[in-house]
Order: sequence, then C-alpha cells, then structure tokens
Amino acid sequence: MQNQNEKDPIIENLWHALGALKEIDAGQVNKTQLLGQPLCYGKDANDVAFVWPASERHKTHTPVNFEALNRCLPVQVRYGYVWTCLGTPSEEIFDIPEYVEPDRRNLNAASMGVHVSAPRAIENFLDMGHFPYVHTDILGVEPHTEVKDYDVTVSADACEILATRCLFYQPMASQASAGGADVEYVYRVPHPYCSILYKSSPLDAARQDVICIFIQPLDQEHIRAHMLLSVLDVDNPDISIRAFQQTIFGQDKPILENQFPKRLPLDPRVETPIRADKSAITYRRWLRQKGITYGVIPAAA
Amino acid sequence: MIKLYDYELSGNCFKLRLLMAILGVKYEPVAVDFYPGLEHKSPWFLQLNPLGQLPVIDDDGYILRDAQAILIYLASKYDPSAKWYPTGSPNLLGEVCQWMAFADAITSTASAARLHDGLFYDFDIEACRTGAHRLFRILDEHLWFGEDQGNDWLCSGSHPTVADLACFPYVVLSEEGGISRQDYPAIRRWTDRVKRIPGFRVMPGIFPAGPGPKTT
Amino acid sequence: MNEAAQRIWHPIASSTDLPFRHTYHGQLLGREFAVWRADDGYVNVWENRCLHRGVRLSIGINDGTELKCQYHGWRYANRTAGCTYIPAHPADAPARTICNQTYPAIERYGLIWSAEAPVGELAYIEVLSGSAVFPLRGIAVNAPAKLVMQKLVTYQFQPSGQIKGQTATSQLLSSSDDSCHLAATDGAHSTTAVFFVQPVDAGRSVIRGVLAETPADDLKRPVLYHHNQLLTALREQVEQEFSTLPQPAPFAPVIAPPSAPTLPDIDFDSPSPRGRSAPLRVQVSKKWMTALDIAAFDLVSITGQLPTYQPGAHIDVHMPNGLIRQYSLTNGPGETDKYTIAVKREAASGGGSLCMHGQVREGDVLAISEPRNNFPLRRDAIQTVFVAGGIGITPLLAMSRTLHHSGLPQTLHYFTQSRDHIAFPEILGTMAATVQHHLNLSPEETAGQLRGILESYKPAMHLYVCGPGPMLEATRKIADDLGWPEPAVHFEYFKNTNEIDDSSQFEINLARSAMTLQVAAGKTILETLRENGIELPSSCEQGACGTCVVDILEGEPEHHDVFLSDGEKQSGKRLMTCVSRAKSNRLVLDI
Repeated sequence: MQNQNEKDPIIENLWHALGALKEIDAGQVNKTQLLGQPLCYGKDANDVAFVWPASERHKTHTPVNFEALNRCLPVQVRYGYVWTCLGTPSEEIFDIPEYVEPDRRNLNAASMGVHVSAPRAIENFLDMGHFPYVHTDILGVEPHTEVKDYDVTVSADACEILATRCLFYQPMASQASAGGADVEYVYRVPHPYCSILYKSSPLDAARQDVICIFIQPLDQEHIRAHMLLSVLDVDNPDISIRAFQQTIFGQDKPILENQFPKRLPLDPRVETPIRADKSAITYRRWLRQKGITYGVIPAAA
Repeated sequence: MIKLYDYELSGNCFKLRLLMAILGVKYEPVAVDFYPGLEHKSPWFLQLNPLGQLPVIDDDGYILRDAQAILIYLASKYDPSAKWYPTGSPNLLGEVCQWMAFADAITSTASAARLHDGLFYDFDIEACRTGAHRLFRILDEHLWFGEDQGNDWLCSGSHPTVADLACFPYVVLSEEGGISRQDYPAIRRWTDRVKRIPGFRVMPGIFPAGPGPKTT
Repeated sequence: MNEAAQRIWHPIASSTDLPFRHTYHGQLLGREFAVWRADDGYVNVWENRCLHRGVRLSIGINDGTELKCQYHGWRYANRTAGCTYIPAHPADAPARTICNQTYPAIERYGLIWSAEAPVGELAYIEVLSGSAVFPLRGIAVNAPAKLVMQKLVTYQFQPSGQIKGQTATSQLLSSSDDSCHLAATDGAHSTTAVFFVQPVDAGRSVIRGVLAETPADDLKRPVLYHHNQLLTALREQVEQEFSTLPQPAPFAPVIAPPSAPTLPDIDFDSPSPRGRSAPLRVQVSKKWMTALDIAAFDLVSITGQLPTYQPGAHIDVHMPNGLIRQYSLTNGPGETDKYTIAVKREAASGGGSLCMHGQVREGDVLAISEPRNNFPLRRDAIQTVFVAGGIGITPLLAMSRTLHHSGLPQTLHYFTQSRDHIAFPEILGTMAATVQHHLNLSPEETAGQLRGILESYKPAMHLYVCGPGPMLEATRKIADDLGWPEPAVHFEYFKNTNEIDDSSQFEINLARSAMTLQVAAGKTILETLRENGIELPSSCEQGACGTCVVDILEGEPEHHDVFLSDGEKQSGKRLMTCVSRAKSNRLVLDI
C-alpha cells in the first residue's frame, strides 16, 4: 500500500473506529490496518478491547493472551465500535446524544472495504444529487432531481460542519403513505473522516433516525467504512434494517471506486462544484483550513 | 410460491433474481444475514444447505442449492420456450454446461477477490486476481470471435442462455475485487448486451446500460 | 515525461470496439479516455472523468447524442464535450465553461487513433493504402511497449493464402518505436502486415495488427485465429520476461483543471456597430424553404468546432446589410456539426428577414455570436406542454426533440395557418406521437383549444410557449386562469412590441464597480454603461431575450421588457439594461 510514510499529525492524533465490538470473537486476534500501519485488535471475555501493533507472532483468529501484550495503543469503545489512536489523542470522540435514547436500536449495518480515500467517501455521504441516479427508486427517482437550496454552517470553534434544511424527493417517503414526498435531512461532520445523518423517521415525524459513517483509513486510498444505525424502528428485524443500508452502500461503492483521482482534490478549480455542492465545498475548505493532508491532494499554496 | 434464500449483495443470488425477473416468475425472498450475521453458517441454514452457501430455493417443498443448478432448474421448469436452457440441442446444451462450469471458476477467483477487498476475507488476493484475469482473457477471446461470427452470447445460437446469466454477475462486479476489465473490450460489450435483455434488473454494484439498438 | 510519445498518433481502439451506444474504456501513456461513437458516426475521445466529481465517464451512458454520467446525470454533448444539463439544477442552463477535455480522433485502417498533443497529421502508411486492409484482434499485454516491440520485430507468421503451412519466412521491412512492417512469404504466397504497439501505461501495451489485404472469405477466420494464437504466444513470452524485470511505476498524467473552451482566433475586421460580439464565422451549407415563407439555414463553422448549445438557445446573426437578429437553434441533442435556424419572411420587418430570404445564399459566410440560453428547458417535469405559434416553433422544436430523444413525457402543440406553413415537417414526422397540429384557427378557436390543452394542471408540469405576441399573451392568460403557477409557465417573445417611454432620467450606482452614472433621457442603461467602458453581454437589445439582465440591489425599476414574468417584475429584483428604467431616482445594480 502506498505512502505509508506520509504522516498527517492531525489525522494521526484523532480517534478512528476499527470494528464493531459485537462482531469480535472474544480472546482472538483480529487484523486490520490504520493509516498504513498493520494493527491487531481483540476483546476479552468481559468485552474489554485491546489494540496493538501487528507482529508475526499474532495470526488471525488464533487465541491471544491480552495481559501478555507489551505495548497497546489507546483504546475506547464508543457507539458499539472499538476506536484507537496512533498518536496522542487530541480530543474526545464527538458526541451523538441520540445514541443513548432508551427506545433506539443501535446496530452496525456493515464494515465494508472500498478502494477510495476517506474524504471522497465522506463527500459522497453528504451528497443528495446522486440519489435518483445511484439509489434509483429508493432514495430518489427521476425526474425529481432538483437539489433545493439548503444551509451549511461551520461551528464557531471550527470543530464541526452542519448542513440543515436539506430536502430531497424520496419515492417511498414513509411507511404510512404511498407515493413520494420531500424528506428532510440534517448532516453533521464532526471529524474529518466521520459524518452523521439525521433523517425524519418514517414512524415518528417528530423524531429522526440517525445514520453514521465512521471511515477507517486503511491507507490514503483504501478505507473500511463502518456504518452505525440508530433507529426508532422496533418492528423490523435487524436483518432488514441492515440490508437497506448495505444496499445503499453497495450502490455507492462502484461510484467511489471509479472516482479519479482517488484522493480528494482541495484546489477548488480541479473539479466543478455547483450550488447543490454547498456542503462539499464547505467540507473541502474546512479540510484545507485544518491543514489535512492525508487522503487529499492539497491545494497549491 | 418459490422461496429464495437471498442476500442482496450476493452475485450468486442476483443471477437467480435476474432469471426470475426475465422469466416473470414470482418469488418470495427470504433475507439471510450473510454479513455480519454469518447466518448461512447457522444451524437452521445448514439444514437447508450443509455446504453453508447461498443461494437456496424452496419451490413448494422442493429444496435446491447451488446457483448454477438452480438456474438450470428454473429455466427448465419456467421457460416454456426452452431457450434459456436449450434441451433440444445437444451441442448447445453442452456449451451451456461448459460455461456454467466456467462460472464456478469465476466465482472462486473474481468473487473471492471481492470478498477479500470488501469484507476482508482471508484469501490469497494475488492468486484470486491472477486467476480471474486468466479466465477473463479466455472469455474475452471467446466473445471476440463470437462477435466476429455475429454471436452475441456465450453459447452459439441467437438467444442468451443461463450460461450468460451464470457468468455475468461476478464478471461485472470484478472491479470490487480490484480486477479491472479495461483490457477486455469484448467482455465489456457483452455485459452491455446482457444489461439490455428485456426484464434485466440491477443489483448494488451494477449500473444499468442505456437504450440499445431497437431490434434487440 | 513522455513528451515525445505524446506528440505521436497512436491507435487507442479498434473500430469494432465502438458499437452502437457503447462507451469504450481507453488509455494511452497512462491517460484514461472515455471513447464513444455518437449515432451520427462521430468518434469522441474524452478525458475519462466527469468534471463534477471525477467519476469515470467510461461507465457512463452513451445515448447516441450525449454521454451521461452515472453519478449525477450530468450530460455532455457529442463533439464539444460541453455540459448540456445538470439535473440538480433543472431550471439553469449550465455555464459554457463546463466543458470536458477532448482529444482528437481519426478512424483509419480499422483503428481509432488519438494523441495527447499531436504534432502534424497522422501519416499515411503506404502498405496499408489499399482499401482492403484487415485488422486483427488487439492483444493486451502486461509489458512495456518497448519490450513488446523488441519481440514483435521477430514475429513469424504464415501468409494468409498459405495459412496451414509451416514454412513461411517473415521479413522485417521496417520498424520504429511504435510500429513494424513485416512480410511473410511461403512459396508464391505473401502477406504484408503492420503491427502497432499502443503504449497503454508504463507496463501495459496493446498489439494492434493490420494486414494489408483482406483474405478470401473462407480464410478470414483461420487467419484471425492464426495471428491470435501466435500473438498470444508472443504475449506469454514477453510477460514472462517482463515479470523478471523491475516493475515501472505507472505514468501519472497531469489532470488539468477545466478551463473555458477557447474560441476560434479571428480577426475582428468589422467590429459590430452596437458592441455585440460575433466571434464565430459560419458558412451557409444549406438553405431551403422548410415551409411557406420560412427559410431554413444550416450553418457550419469555418473557424473550428461550434460551441455547445442547449435547447432554447439562440444566436445573434450579423447580416450582410448590417442588421443583427436573433434566431433560435432548432437542433436536436448532439447535433453539434451545424446550427440550424429558420427565418420567416416578414414583409413588415426592418429588413432582417428580407435579407436572410433574399440576399443570403448557400456558401455565404456570416458572423454569429456564441449561443446563449435565456430560455432553458427543465427536464424534471412529469409532463411538458409546448405551445408553438408559427415561427415560434424554432426553440420549442429543439426542446421537444431533446425530450423525445430521452423518452420524457411531452406534447408539442403547433398552431399554424395551414399544412404548408408547418416548418421542419420531416423532423416532426419522426416524433409524430408527441406532436399535435392545430391548423387555421381563429383567435377564438385557438383560445378554445388552449383551454382544452391546459385544463388539467398538476404539480411538476411545465408549459413552454413561443409565438406571436397576442397568442403568447392569450396562452399565459389562459394558463393563469386554469391554475398554472407562474414558475411553471415559460415563454419567449420574438420581439418587444411595448411602447417604451425613455424620457426619464435617473442615477445608477454600480455596487461592484463602485461607479455612479447618470442615465439621460433617450439613453438606455446599457448604452450608458457602454459609454463608460462597461461591457455587458447583450443580444436583442429590445427587452425580449434576457441576455442583458442584471440584479437590482436597491431602488425601484420601471420594466419595459417582455422577458421577465409578472411575478419577477413585481419582486423588482432584476431588470433588463436594454429597456428598463427607474421609478426611483436611483438604482443600485449588482455590476
């Protein structure tokens, strides 16, 4: 994998999700990679998670004695995932207040590999204009292609991007009524490689389902996308809730893998934004201002 | 009604959904949590298929596993024209079986590469990709010489067969396993033709083709 | 890197790689191409990325006239690669600057040739000068072109007439970095072949062979198999050898940011008297009477590729008699090899139509402006209704053809005096199911028909009207009566028949230029701006076309145009600098 030596101190000091805690077999070695560095992770019988640098000694799915590990990386379990940091954690993991609401179902929809950079995947997650073309008959349908004006702000401390009043026509807008209608979305970007989407719940118009994407950068051009669902649905089994999100992501995947260059260009002239891309424009500018270099093509000074 | 034990992102399940859509056969999908639930390895599923593989169908109590076998069963039973599984012509039938076996080889290489890259299966990825490219070279050459004779499909004859549907999914999903089809222009044209078969439907990872020649 | 190779023409595909409505994925010296043949036969070789988000266009849809990106449905036109439609903003005409990088294409010897920065023409190859050349199957090789070439010069094959033999000797006639000429002789039989090696990337190539003669019919297939087998064996050898060598890094072609297409370089021998630019020179390639009193003109460029247009666009035509007139393009999608306009003979006209009818002949050269689109077509309607009166068919024909090509729901109502007055009947005939003719109706009968046509408005329906003033007024009124909201009613007047009172005087403040100017009685805002060195695009200069629109930041305008809708006029946010004036003493404009 390319450019293992390129360091981005900001990204290195952030927390990154590695995998869903529930999907880990206790007492065994799991292998993955973060920012080009091979890692092992696992959990013990009490769901205590460990992350440590990979070595020849540790083979996938073999037993491991966590107490005998001599150097472990910082670890946290948050939102059902194991998170780690290769450097010195610079800040706490962002807050998702809805996650702890008692009537919500929280589950990992999937952790899927994609051959693309993390920022390209986030930008796609923020995008509505592709719904009729990529998620045909599900999140959108021709001829309802218009992206209406919406609002994007960056928080005063520059920690987070917020896009609100995002409306897009959805062919099966709710379970209660047949036919399409505009659905409202709110997007948060609290981390360069993570985003949270709020979408009016088909069951309770006053509340929102929450869909999060936590991108684990394997390297600059390969990712593992972890998708957390926090939904109000109590009737449907896990499998159908997951299947919906896997279908959506499976549709995005070939688009992401056909984007070129794979890293996100931050020079605003390299690609052609339109008004509908307000959140993407803000996201690119925000990455530039933060000084992010990993997974992007920095703008010439 | 036919029950299809199904996983949306599986190319082997998709080829059955595709044939049934083309033939207008109604079915009831039973979603199996292949990932992350590994439900195809669960006791209840192993009773249906001890190999622990999708897809499986249950046609009014008749249970059958293996995507290629099910294609043959469905086409034999539900295609009265006998074009999709051409039992009337020994030569053609031989070709169909030959390419059905080829589809299995595609699954064990191109599909395996996709599982490695997408779901981090512990496979020898270089071997998977090299094997898929070896098959794709054979397939591209076959299709090129077929086109030169006016053949649109894998087998001789003017109508597509279950062999086309058997080979199609993991060929067209190969890029998810890091296997480019750029060097196989005849394969790329054939995938366009398959996408233009009346009744064609997509799955995640497969784009539709635009309108083709009016005559097809 | 590769500068020398970039100047040379290379084959990038076989002709047979570009069947009907297919998009081929090509590559040369690392740079990827989307290659597609339009229904009119034109071969497009484009940078393989959508300008919006960099998605490969080789996965896009070739609809025969345009290439459509799979990600957001952006459409790019045949030849120009200019963007014609952005579905996220259906009401807007895309900026002309959104134009993909194109590369030249030549189809010869059964191959498609291109180059990144060609110097000179593609040279003719003498041994392939006959008409019966026979292209072989291209063989992709995972090895650098140079290595492939080294093996290829020793390639041994049988002549086509002695394909089963084994005793042929091959002779190398000539070779270069990227091609070699070989002759195989076996007894009395001899075959000459030329092999080109396409440098795909640093470690990848394609061998593209062409025989100088087509074998007899019964030998074609054996000959194809013969070379396929031998070249495949050669590939195995080269790849085996290459696998033992250090693997080169792939080429890294520079992706240049999109830039505005440059207009043909022209001497402005006679700057237009009213400051309206006409940078294009076109020749009338065909002039014909398409209907009674309506002449149609095909205009082809003599100064390079014509710019991209969208349905609804018009051009200014600068006539030999000095007049400037606006004509809508009637072209369907992707018809980028010419502009087609139609002109009605108006006895009472100021001389524009008489000049076009009487003076302009086939072969004449005219100066025209780039197309401008102030009448853009939405393609997100659940049903589009077109109402054309007489010569008002012209912009609506382009629109209707566009929707027809995409299979979008629409009806074109065409009001004319008689069958003889129907323009472009041959085109309308190809979309007969979408066209309804209304012949020889009185104004009252027309109104009755319109009420029937417009009676069942539903949300997301759109109406486009173009025709004589009174008919247009009547249609707008009926649509309003029948509940059509103003944003769903789109119209274009031929001309502004309002009496314009230009006796007022007022001040204009230019916010962006920080200037204050006085508009005198008898002068327009546009003229005042020009006199002070501020150039604004304009076209009809009589308040009909909408080209010279500007935003108002402060002040109350006095509208005299027929471009803005009533609602837009009331909101007071925009004006036409060519005719609008001020009710307040001062206007602040966003210029």
